[in-house]
Amino acid sequence: MRWLPGIVIAVLALGAMSSMASDRAGGEEGLEPHWREIAWPMPRDGWPVGRAFRCTEAACGGNTELYVRPKRGFCNCDTGVADDDEVDRVADLDLISARFAPREPGRAIRVAGMPGRLRSYDLAMPDGGRHIAIGIAVSHRCDLLVAVAQGTGDAPEMERAAMEFLDTAEMKRWMVSAMEGR
Amino acid sequence: MGGRVRIAVCVSVSFFAYAGIVHAQSQAIGAPPETSNMKLVGHSDLQARSAYQPTIHHQGDRYIAYIGHHGGTDDVPAPINPLTGKAEPNGTSIVDVTDPAHPVYLRHIPGQEGKYEGGGGQMVRVCDGKALPKGDASAVYLLRTFGGEAHEIWNVADPANPVLVTRIGGLKDTHKNWWECDTGIAFLVSGAPDWRTRRMTQVYDLSDPAHPVQIRDFGLPGQEPGATGAVPTELHGPISTGPSGNRVYFGYGTNKGGFLQIVDRDKLLNGPKEPTPDNLRYPEISRLAMSAFNGANTVFPMPGMPIAEFAKDKDGKTRDIVMIVDEAILNECAEPRQMVWFADVTVENRPMMISSYTVPEASGHFCERGGRFGSHSSNESMAPVYYRKMAFIAFFNAGVRALDVRDPYHPREVGYFIPSITAATDKRCVTIDGKERCRVAIQTNNVETDERGYIYIVDRANTGLHILEMAGEARAVAGLP
Repeated sequence: MRWLPGIVIAVLALGAMSSMASDRAGGEEGLEPHWREIAWPMPRDGWPVGRAFRCTEAACGGNTELYVRPKRGFCNCDTGVADDDEVDRVADLDLISARFAPREPGRAIRVAGMPGRLRSYDLAMPDGGRHIAIGIAVSHRCDLLVAVAQGTGDAPEMERAAMEFLDTAEMKRWMVSAMEGR
Repeated sequence: MGGRVRIAVCVSVSFFAYAGIVHAQSQAIGAPPETSNMKLVGHSDLQARSAYQPTIHHQGDRYIAYIGHHGGTDDVPAPINPLTGKAEPNGTSIVDVTDPAHPVYLRHIPGQEGKYEGGGGQMVRVCDGKALPKGDASAVYLLRTFGGEAHEIWNVADPANPVLVTRIGGLKDTHKNWWECDTGIAFLVSGAPDWRTRRMTQVYDLSDPAHPVQIRDFGLPGQEPGATGAVPTELHGPISTGPSGNRVYFGYGTNKGGFLQIVDRDKLLNGPKEPTPDNLRYPEISRLAMSAFNGANTVFPMPGMPIAEFAKDKDGKTRDIVMIVDEAILNECAEPRQMVWFADVTVENRPMMISSYTVPEASGHFCERGGRFGSHSSNESMAPVYYRKMAFIAFFNAGVRALDVRDPYHPREVGYFIPSITAATDKRCVTIDGKERCRVAIQTNNVETDERGYIYIVDRANTGLHILEMAGEARAVAGLP
C-alpha cells in the first residue's frame, strides 16, 4: 500500500500522455472529404509551421491549396485585425509570392468565433503564372490566426470553399487548440 | 520491487522534484532581490503603472527621471494618482532622483486612455532649450508619445508643472523615437495613416519645438503608400549619431524577421523626399538581416571601439560595433529565445554578427517563473561612465543584466539584479487546456543610466522604478572607484 501514491501518479502521467497522443491522432481524421492534408510546403520562417490542405478541382473550381497557422504574439491586442493593410502584412501571402495586389477592399469576417478580415488578391507567381489568393487574418486577444487559399480558380468560389472548410468542426477544434499553443 | 513499481516511483520522484524546482524559483512577496555585483539604492512605485522608457535628465542642479508608461491593465485601467486623488490613464511619470536613495515623485501627466499597448505614453526623450538651435533657452522640452495617436512636446523646466507646447497627431501608432538635442532633428516612429505599415519614420525638425517642421516620411520600399506585394517588417526604433557620425541605425522587427539598417543621415535629410521605392533606397548604406526567429528592438551604436586582442594587428585595431537587442513578447518561453547580438559594422556594406549573449535559462529556471523571459532593451545613454565599457540589458523576469562589452567579440555578464515583487506586481497568464494559469514575476522592461553611473530599471508588471549601482569587482570594468 505504501507504493500506492506512486502508482497513482504513474497512472495519471500515462493517462495524460495517452490523451496528448490521441489529440495528435485526431488531427488526421474527420476532414471534409474534398480536402486532403498535405505537407507544409513553405520554408521555415519565424513562425511555427501550420497545416496545409489541397482541395479537389471539382469541389473548389480549380487547383486550390489552403495554408493555416496561428501566429502567437501580435501587438494589436485591442484593435485586432483593424484594416486591410493588416491582412496584406500578416496573411502569409508573401510566402507564396512577394508580388501580390489586392483585387478589392476586404471585408470583416469571423472564423472559429474570432473576428478579423478577408481580402482577395492577384498573385504573380515566380514561374510567371497568375494565381488568385484569399488572405484571411483573425485574432484572439494578442494572437493571430492566418489562412491563405491560393490557386487557379476564381476568387468567389475559392473564398466560399475555404470559408466552408475553415467552418468545419474539425478545423475549428484544431484552430482553437493551436491558438493555445497545443 | 517490480518493474512497474520502479517506474511509478521514478515518475513520482521526478514529479515532486520538478514541482519543487518550480516552487523554489517562483518569486514571493517579501523575498529579497536576487543580485550579483549590483546594489539597490532607491525605489519608486511609480503609482503601480506599467513602465517603458526611462530618460534621466541632468536639469540644473537636479537629476529628473522621465518615465513613459504603457496603458493600464484589465483590473486597473486608470490607477489613482495620489497627488491628485483622481484616476488617470497611464502617461508619463516625473520623478526627482537627485538623491537616488530617496526619489521624489513630482508629477504624472496622463496619457491616452487604453490598456497595455493600446494606451499610455510609453516613449520619452528630453532636450534642453538652450541646446536646441531655436529653442527657448529657459525651457526644458519633453518629447513623449501619447498612446498610438500623437507625439507631444511639453515644457518641463518646472518638472512638477509641465506645460504642453505642441502636438503632432493623426497617427495610427507611435513607438521608440530618437531626438538629437544639438540639431533638433527627430526621428519619430509613427504610423502615418496612408502608409502600409503600423510603424515607420517621420523625420522632423524640432529645433523650435513650438513649430515642428516635417522633413520627410521614411521607411522600407513596400511600406510606402500605394505599394503592393509583401510588406517589410515594421520599424522598432532608430538611433542617430548626429551630423558628426552621419549615420542613423534603424532596428526593425520585435521578435521576428528583424534587421539592422544603416542609413546615411545626410542623404536621409537632404535627399529626394517623395516616398518612392528609389528615394527610400537612396540613403541606405546596407542592411544586416537577422534570423526570422529574432527582431531588433534596440540598435545601439558603439563606433570606434579599440579591441585589445587586435591591438598588434596592422589593420582593424578598432571596430565599429552595433549592439542589437531583440524583444521577447510571449510568456513562459513560447517563442524562440530573444537575446543580444553584437554586429561588427566597420565595413559598412558587409555588416556581420560577431557574438551574442543570453541569460542561461537554467540559472534561474526562468521559463517556469511566469511572464516573459528574454531580452527587451538596453540603456541608450552615451555618457562616458559606461559607454563602450558596460551595457545594461533589460531581460524581463531575469531582471537587468550588466555586460562587460569592452571586447564585443566576447561579451561577458558581470552583474545582475532581479527586483523583489510587491503587492503591486501584476500577474502574467498563459492558457492551458482552455484555462488561464497565471504567475507573478518581475518583468524588467527598460533600463537607462545617468552620467553619475546610477542604473534605472523599470517594470512592465507595475513594480515601479529601481535605482541601482554597480558593486564589487564589476565596478572596475567601468573604472568606478
